[in-house]
Amino acid sequence: MLQYWTAILTEASIFAILALGIDMIWGWAGDFDLSAYAYFALGVYMTMVMTIGKPQAPVVYILGWHLPYPIAVVLAVIVVVAFASVVGAIALRSLREVHFSITTLGAVWAIYYAVENYTPLFNGYNGVYGLFDPLGGGLSYNSYHYLFLGFCLVVLFVVYLVVQRLSTSPFGRMVRAVRDDERAASVYGRNVFWAKYRTYLFGAGLAGLAGGLFAAYIGAFNPLDWKPTEIFVLYAAILVGGRGNPKGVVLGTFVVYVGFVEMTRYIPSPAARPELGPALRQILIGLLIVLMLKFRPSGLLPERLGNDGTVARRSWPERLFRTSPTEGDAVTSATAETGGEVAS
Amino acid sequence: MSIFWISLGQGLAVAAILALSSVAFTLEYAVSRVVNLAHGEVLTIGAFAAYVSETTFHQSIYVCALVATIFGSLAATAINFVVIERFRNQKSLATLIATLGASLVLQNLLLIIFGGASLSYTFSQGNLLHVGPFLWTTLTIEVMVSAVIVAILIYLLLQRTRLGKALRAVSQNRELSQVSGIPARAVVMQTWAVAGAISGFAGFLYGETVGTISPSIGNGFLLLSITAAVGGGLGRPYATLGGALVLGLVMSIAGTYVSSAYQLVIAFGFLVVMLLLKPNGMFVRGSAQMVRA
Repeated sequence: MLQYWTAILTEASIFAILALGIDMIWGWAGDFDLSAYAYFALGVYMTMVMTIGKPQAPVVYILGWHLPYPIAVVLAVIVVVAFASVVGAIALRSLREVHFSITTLGAVWAIYYAVENYTPLFNGYNGVYGLFDPLGGGLSYNSYHYLFLGFCLVVLFVVYLVVQRLSTSPFGRMVRAVRDDERAASVYGRNVFWAKYRTYLFGAGLAGLAGGLFAAYIGAFNPLDWKPTEIFVLYAAILVGGRGNPKGVVLGTFVVYVGFVEMTRYIPSPAARPELGPALRQILIGLLIVLMLKFRPSGLLPERLGNDGTVARRSWPERLFRTSPTEGDAVTSATAETGGEVAS
Repeated sequence: MSIFWISLGQGLAVAAILALSSVAFTLEYAVSRVVNLAHGEVLTIGAFAAYVSETTFHQSIYVCALVATIFGSLAATAINFVVIERFRNQKSLATLIATLGASLVLQNLLLIIFGGASLSYTFSQGNLLHVGPFLWTTLTIEVMVSAVIVAILIYLLLQRTRLGKALRAVSQNRELSQVSGIPARAVVMQTWAVAGAISGFAGFLYGETVGTISPSIGNGFLLLSITAAVGGGLGRPYATLGGALVLGLVMSIAGTYVSSAYQLVIAFGFLVVMLLLKPNGMFVRGSAQMVRA
């Protein structure tokens, strides 16, 4: 039972990092990006081919290095960001909203089929596998996994702090201003493309980082593990938690992920119909997305906006010694009530 | 050189089906301003409805086509009624995400009902025929002829009927046409029914041409339909028709030189080039500018 929860929490914390990255692109900048799962997958692949060493006979993949794990993850993130900079440059330059989503949808399927069919890259359909232990052995199976869970939680916490800080920083507020009214933001001298582009690259980088962690966790990765449609779970999680609010995104990921994994345990999955469980899960995710969008688009923890429309930022003493609700709170609840406009 | 002509002939067949599918997609966009990501599932539903009526009820190929059309129409009307109309006053992106949810639900319902394995029709493929430089089966020719007939019917519907006139008015400005006495809601509903019928029929033709159907066939075809519609001119039926033919030819010509597994990669390259050069569509006048839907 303990191992079971260790596995679930490890995966949930890795996906929370990915969700934070996706939420930057969608929640802050308002760009509904469908290709983020490809960045995650690229992060996994790159980390693996840089740590597991030379490919054995029938298996082929690029690089095949034996780098220390942390260096491999950093390099993988750099590769992912470089890759996203190309897709982002195409998709963000002059395309918005639906056209942006279509372009990223095309991109993710193109990447998917290219990786699946072009074997020399990442061994195509069969995928890349290999045992690697970032700590170089010396620990039992269980204690390694407990330690890895702790490591993932620490990374998630650090990422959360950075994202939260960035969210309330002038940059975070500027990106939201661009999201809410591009024309007004550019009149005030903001470079709209540059704001969206930087957010996109940062989000993609977080997706790559999550991929780097996931690589160490699973040890084998093939195209079946990253059907681009899997990203919808994360969008459901972000919608449940609260789009644009890092705290909500982490909460949503844990609620949705743990909720769904727990629920699937009670769905009967007869041996003759192995697709039944996953299919029911996908149906629930689809319903969750539609219902959340319709009835509570701002999620459990809505994005907090100050009275001037920007993201509220209070200093620590203010938060500790606050006695009466501030103006900012009144506006926040007002935005929560008119939550229909949130999904832009 | 002969391989080139053979694959070009096959490409024409796929282009004909793609034309129907993407015109349906573009009609939905025209009246509802929504990129319907559940469009692929309407095709799949049509294909499976025909499958059931063939294997379980042993109907002829014509009855099967009719059943596919009817079920496609019902499915699209349901999508419009249950999802699209509920999100009408929200931004286009919210509707897009909602259709994505609908697509997940429908695709997995089909998966539960029919299982994940590939199924196939047992209609005869007919004889091999040499037509000019092309090599076609009787069935392929029937597919292309019926696609052309449907395209002509769409043209007549748009240009010669009251519904077509109302449809064009609603697609230009829903509020204004409502004020002018056009029952916009009903027109939108009928347009979805027509678009669904075309999609269901296209799904049947696709399943017949490819030979196998599975719950995910519509999904791959969705991306091609979107590419064709955006490349030609989103929301404009005739521009979309042209876009679909060009894309079909590009894919089949490229398909002779690289593996057909890269079909979607080629389609994506086409989409990117079109979006960068002519973001409003290649058959729509107007310069490259910011595109927002």
